[in-house]
Amino acid sequence: MIQNTKCECGHQNRVGTVLCEACGKPLYDSDQSTEPLEMRYDGVARRSQKSNPNFIDRIWNFFSSVKVAVYLIIITLVGAMFGTIFEQESNFVYFDPSTFYKQKYGTIGDIYYKLGLSHTYESWWFVTLLVMIGASLVICSLDRVLPLYKALSRQKIRKHRQFLIRQRVVYEGPVENLTGDWISSAVTSLKKKGYRVKHDEDALLAEKQRFSRWGPYIIHIGLIIFLLAILFRGLPGLNVDKHYWFPEGEITKIPDSNLYLKNEGFTVEYYPEEELPEKFRESGRVVPKLFETKAVLYQCTADCDDPSKDPLLEEVKRHDIRVNDPLNYNGFKVYQFDFDLTPKLRSVTPSLVRADTGESYGKFKLSMTNSEETYQVGPYTLELSNKYMDFDLNEEGKPVSKSNDPNAPAFLFVIKGPDLPEAGVQYIYFPKQIDKERFQQDAINERLGGLDSGLALDVLGMEDVDFIASSSYLNIRVDRAMPFVWIGLGIVMLGLVLGFYWHHRRIWLRLDGQTLILGAHTAKNWFGLRREVARFLQDMGVDVDEKHLENRGNQV
Amino acid sequence: MNVLEISRLAFVIAFYLYCLSFIFYVVAVTGKTWRNRDPVRHERKWGAVSFVTSSLGLLSHFIYCGTRWAYSGHIPVSNMYEFMTFLSMMVMLAFTVIFLIYRKILIGMFALPVAIIIMAYAAVFPKDVQPLIPSLQSIWLYIHVTLAATGEAFFAIGFAAGLMYLLRTVEFDKQDKSSLRQKRWLEFTLYSIIIVLGFVISVYGFRAANYEAVFVQNTTVIDSEVQEDSTIERIVYNLPPIVAPDDSKPEYIDSFLGLKFPWFEAPSWMKGEQAGRQLNTVVWAVVTGTLLYFLLRLLLRKPLSRLIAPTLKSLDPDDLDEISYRSIAIGFPIFTLGALVFAMIWAQQAWGRFWGWDPKEVWALITWLFYSAYLHLRLSRGFQGRQSSWLAVIGFIVVMFTLIGVNLIIAGLHSYAGVD
Repeated sequence: MIQNTKCECGHQNRVGTVLCEACGKPLYDSDQSTEPLEMRYDGVARRSQKSNPNFIDRIWNFFSSVKVAVYLIIITLVGAMFGTIFEQESNFVYFDPSTFYKQKYGTIGDIYYKLGLSHTYESWWFVTLLVMIGASLVICSLDRVLPLYKALSRQKIRKHRQFLIRQRVVYEGPVENLTGDWISSAVTSLKKKGYRVKHDEDALLAEKQRFSRWGPYIIHIGLIIFLLAILFRGLPGLNVDKHYWFPEGEITKIPDSNLYLKNEGFTVEYYPEEELPEKFRESGRVVPKLFETKAVLYQCTADCDDPSKDPLLEEVKRHDIRVNDPLNYNGFKVYQFDFDLTPKLRSVTPSLVRADTGESYGKFKLSMTNSEETYQVGPYTLELSNKYMDFDLNEEGKPVSKSNDPNAPAFLFVIKGPDLPEAGVQYIYFPKQIDKERFQQDAINERLGGLDSGLALDVLGMEDVDFIASSSYLNIRVDRAMPFVWIGLGIVMLGLVLGFYWHHRRIWLRLDGQTLILGAHTAKNWFGLRREVARFLQDMGVDVDEKHLENRGNQV
Repeated sequence: MNVLEISRLAFVIAFYLYCLSFIFYVVAVTGKTWRNRDPVRHERKWGAVSFVTSSLGLLSHFIYCGTRWAYSGHIPVSNMYEFMTFLSMMVMLAFTVIFLIYRKILIGMFALPVAIIIMAYAAVFPKDVQPLIPSLQSIWLYIHVTLAATGEAFFAIGFAAGLMYLLRTVEFDKQDKSSLRQKRWLEFTLYSIIIVLGFVISVYGFRAANYEAVFVQNTTVIDSEVQEDSTIERIVYNLPPIVAPDDSKPEYIDSFLGLKFPWFEAPSWMKGEQAGRQLNTVVWAVVTGTLLYFLLRLLLRKPLSRLIAPTLKSLDPDDLDEISYRSIAIGFPIFTLGALVFAMIWAQQAWGRFWGWDPKEVWALITWLFYSAYLHLRLSRGFQGRQSSWLAVIGFIVVMFTLIGVNLIIAGLHSYAGVD
């Protein structure tokens, strides 16, 4: 069907136009109506209002709808709630999620896990919702901002009477002592109120703070930048998030980089008793005051990948890392995350002794992390055939290492030397006395045949044991997308402030003989607009109550 | 008298001034129809008296905040008592701003109870000045928390005005489906507010009676070395224990009306510090609130909404709608900046990630999404009046859940902002 979209003023409007683009006359309603007009986008046609939509137009139309946008927001909101019922997988590292939820919360927990709600925010449907909101942001904005921009930049001064009396703020009445300079004094009065005024002999358009109309679109642009930044964060190389232990006094290589970090000392400080409230003192509660790692960051400049040489390190940054105060080296950041004050073995210096006589063949230094492949002690050679930092026996009775932290270190040697078989003798050694008993070193060695040699490794005194007093658990972060996240949020805030703290106001006015017809429009804060119009009319000698300016259509 | 004592005194003075000014606001609004009175003069006179009183209350509230800040060396927003007190202060500030824009004394009649109830709620929690743990030692504590509270305070005024709108427009005589539903939910909203009062009353009642019950709770932690590490914790109840802590034994229980306690145990999945004790408090709040509600109904012989509604007759519903919307529109950018943007900046600095889907973060986002849906519906879909007022009421419930509910039942990284 071909619609006649030509207005009586002669202007040819596009399909979907509600108010004539030139004179503002409502194109479809009856002339008798006084209902307030729907003034959204000044009644111009949006892109989505095409007469014969094709496939792409249909998708466009779907996402351009505010109704759809609100549904998307509400579904996302409700979906996000589900993720807070039980804790998310990402918030704990030490448990196996497939059993954790069932054990902790019973059947409900199991259902929760099986529905995938234990990782709500990474699930396909949640991400899809966010992407759809992004699409909605782009399309809603484009669909409206261009037509609105066009409509606002080519406004006509003189509007149709219908357009004026169907605004929400309306005044129609006779003007006494109407003289030729009535309009020019109206212009002066409105200019004083901050309006930009255009006029001809008997009509006037006053407008202020139009920029506030762009607020919502600026917000949307900011949100799109924000969402894109989050999307691109996932690309390889842009984002590193790793946690490592840094033992006190050691230079530790940071994996996948040419950087090394030395923990020069970790401190934890507690508030002294007199600074605590009485209740805490009584219950003996302690409150930490400070966690601090004195850190030095080194960059490797030469021999980095050569295992035979020590890497050449150059100090690049020194910082006392605290909570809320990370080390930052050109976007490479190190955060205080956790700590461990239980002393850990750094190295032991055991002696090789003959078990029955106690005769010692000599000592060697056995470092937990940097152990060598062979050690020469007297006439004997000890080859390190295996090393378990966190020793345990698995279900089949085989030795395994539960982690790389030296919680229960064990070393399996092959001892070769005089009076021993050619292939050597296997011997397992637990440096910690507690592990020796827990895992029964002697029993294992008996099975391995290590006792036949009559040799044993033993630490003879405390001076042969070296401890790491504490370890600091630091979080290594690189996040190259962060600047875009902040820029996006900054733009959002700019848009919010423009859109909410300023108000676009327009006042149209025309003199039909002795009658003044005034209509005024704003997007928000009608109260303020009515007050301003009432004051303006008072200036012009028309006494009218704010409340009476309000047009409620046929209700009154 | 040291600084802390001045601060405590200022708190109490502020509270009583608010209560007094609430009475003045009620007189200012309802007194217009009293006999032998010129309504305009009455309103002007009593309106001025009420506003001066509530402003003095706010001044005293500022003194509380300033002196406590001076004493502790950090802004008083680091535990539940301090935060809730701060929130009520911001509600009063938001009220003052909105009042100065619209000059409607009636807002006072609704905003003051909101502030008073939040303040009374705050006073229930331990008032000790606590030193800051390392993660809170940041300038962002000041900015993030204060701005978030300010945004939420404007939402509270939006809630108050929205509720007023609903009470003003509800039609008690109509019996059609939508009016009935309207009446029912309004009454339920008022009942919920009474439950909060029930909470405050039961806590203060039993505190005055020095009630105490003690439970011993065994928590067993299995550490990596397959050694069980159990800690024994004593949990002190100041309300009769209807709900005992999960997996606990009573040490001693004071008697109350000869009843035998506890009646049941808290479910083990409840999180947060002392979940059992908190659940017990909630149960008491509901019990006391319900008793109080029915007592009021018995005395008044009509629904509470019916009692309040006539006082609003002189008011223009469109103005209420506009005020409700306007204060949410003022609060929204502040909330976005404080509760999301600055929260992200702080999280980035403290934890190395600007967003971690921690329950508190998620609920702040939910609040934000809710109010953005509200704004879209209002600005683009023409939701006005009743629909938008209900949204303003629900929105504030979401805010309160984010502030209190999350700490109570979900916990997470923000649990230290909690209760003990």
